[in-house]
Amino acid sequence: MRLNEHPILGTFEKGDLVTFEFDGKAMEGYEGEPIAVALRAAGVMTHRHTMKNNTPRGIFCAIGRCTDCVMIVDNKPNIRTCVTPLVAGMKVQTQYGVTADADAKA
Amino acid sequence: MKRYELIVIGAGPAGLSAAIEAARAGMQTIVFDENAKPGGQLFKQIHKFFGSKEHKAKIRGYDIGDDLLREAEALGVKVVLNATVVGIYEGKEITVMIGDGITHYKGDAVIVATGASENMVTFPGWTLPGVIGAGAAQTMMNLHGIKPGHRVLMLGTGNVGLVVSYQLLQAGCEVVCLVDAAKRVGGYGVHASKVTRTGVPFYLGHTIKAIEGDGKVEKVTIAALDDTWAFIEGSDMTFEVDTVCLAVGLSPMSQLTKTAGCDMMANVPVTNGYGETSVPGIYAAGDVSGIEEASSAMIEGRIAGADAAYQAGYLTEVAFKTIVEANEASLDQLRQGMFGPDERGKVQTTTDEGIALSTTLLEKGYLAENEIGYFPGVETRQKGIYPVIECTQNIPCNPCQDACVKGCISIGDKITSLPVVGENIDCTGCGLCVASCSGQSIFLIEEKAEENIAYVSMPYEFLPLPERGDRGLALNRSGEVVCETEIIKLRSSKAMDKTNILTIKVPLDMAMKARFFKPLTEGGAKNA
Repeated sequence: MRLNEHPILGTFEKGDLVTFEFDGKAMEGYEGEPIAVALRAAGVMTHRHTMKNNTPRGIFCAIGRCTDCVMIVDNKPNIRTCVTPLVAGMKVQTQYGVTADADAKA
Repeated sequence: MKRYELIVIGAGPAGLSAAIEAARAGMQTIVFDENAKPGGQLFKQIHKFFGSKEHKAKIRGYDIGDDLLREAEALGVKVVLNATVVGIYEGKEITVMIGDGITHYKGDAVIVATGASENMVTFPGWTLPGVIGAGAAQTMMNLHGIKPGHRVLMLGTGNVGLVVSYQLLQAGCEVVCLVDAAKRVGGYGVHASKVTRTGVPFYLGHTIKAIEGDGKVEKVTIAALDDTWAFIEGSDMTFEVDTVCLAVGLSPMSQLTKTAGCDMMANVPVTNGYGETSVPGIYAAGDVSGIEEASSAMIEGRIAGADAAYQAGYLTEVAFKTIVEANEASLDQLRQGMFGPDERGKVQTTTDEGIALSTTLLEKGYLAENEIGYFPGVETRQKGIYPVIECTQNIPCNPCQDACVKGCISIGDKITSLPVVGENIDCTGCGLCVASCSGQSIFLIEEKAEENIAYVSMPYEFLPLPERGDRGLALNRSGEVVCETEIIKLRSSKAMDKTNILTIKVPLDMAMKARFFKPLTEGGAKNA
């Protein structure tokens, strides 16, 4: 998914390759890029499940407006992953409603 | 509470331009932007801009963004990032959220330049992961260097849909088709043509019926619409895709002007000729005051910034009027032509020159071969090498005229006029016109009748770059394969700014047909 070379933009400047945690699994991404980009590169499409209907949501606007991509980051819910930079060691969790518990009922 | 003479909300093209103009006059100026980086959408815009020199035509969006940032910095404009303005109150007081805290600021004048957000449309499956805004695709590819998906369907053929489709191709994605409920392509014909000639079909008068997939987009079904916008039975077409991009228009992000009590017309603040709203000292500039594009947003910003400086006593009346007159003239040029604000919603049939508009371009996204000869940029069967300019709509753009040092191309003072190629011209084949054309609509033709071949040179902005001697297929304007071909040469230079010029050899009768090169082995391996 990552572009190594682009016909107009050349190569992309990235931070250090770091490890973070996604739903308990170790995952790699570049420090400073949006969390959502690191997830997309790793093939993760679902960021959260809605509270009422439990339907999946992922990146939609990618500029921090729509809130479809919010997740639990370092135990804090509703973090817009498309505009939040990745930091080494971050703990990222799929959000169900407003919790990390898939079985929780709102 | 901190006080500034001018507070600008939004560090995009309008906001930065406003801040630059005001700071140049001496105003103490601060800009707030909610993003981590300034520049608004400019750094995602990798295509060359239209307009004339003063509108920064033929310069790519991100370079314009860099210029604006440098200028703002040199003038001492303070830009605060990751700072979301959440409220605007009486007395031009604003609240700004930085981190988890709120800070109060007060401005003598406030310029709201918050831009626009993308519209969406709903249909079964629209919330599935993999359905994204076209702007999201642009952000992922051009800012963060990641493909939004491998196989993409684009809904919408306005300029955003067309430009982003081309950018998806540049990033190595496959675009399966463009779909639009309207019966005519909404954006510039030249933007459509550079997508169609690569072989991407357009389905006008169609829209998405449903998207299906297990937890993510897997397939999308489109269908044709009748005159009552109902689906025509039996017209369904299904495509396997992993991504659906929505490019269905933009809406001004005018919430701040509304809460400030500015008079609104629909969701747009009413402004006077200088961008000032009904609340004295509060201005709106750029897309928030009506959707246009970055070039006009920059001019609106400059006018608003100058007015704020004038009202604060930093500009004399004469200096202010000089700035405004120059900018108004420049803005007026951009608003001319068949896509200008006055022409919206009108069905046009001829160009300003009285030539019938290409209906295949409007309905299918490419020029039909029998229509091309009617346009003044096409003067075929000349001796030696000559340019063929397939520019057939009145849009504000004239870099080709300046690019040719031999004076082979003329547009005149009205920048929306169609370019004219003279007879018996002195073309040297330098290719600068090809590279300068923001619409990529200029080709160089050299007919070699004695050998029964022709050389066709075309703009080429894809990877991997072919090399001399490579063999491939020549595609026509609609993207159909017309013949086999061989690369004769590939030229790139700093002046061409990443628009490479590819020269291919084709049979003589293909000189006016061959318009794109497709390598025999599918490219894009570098970005698998």
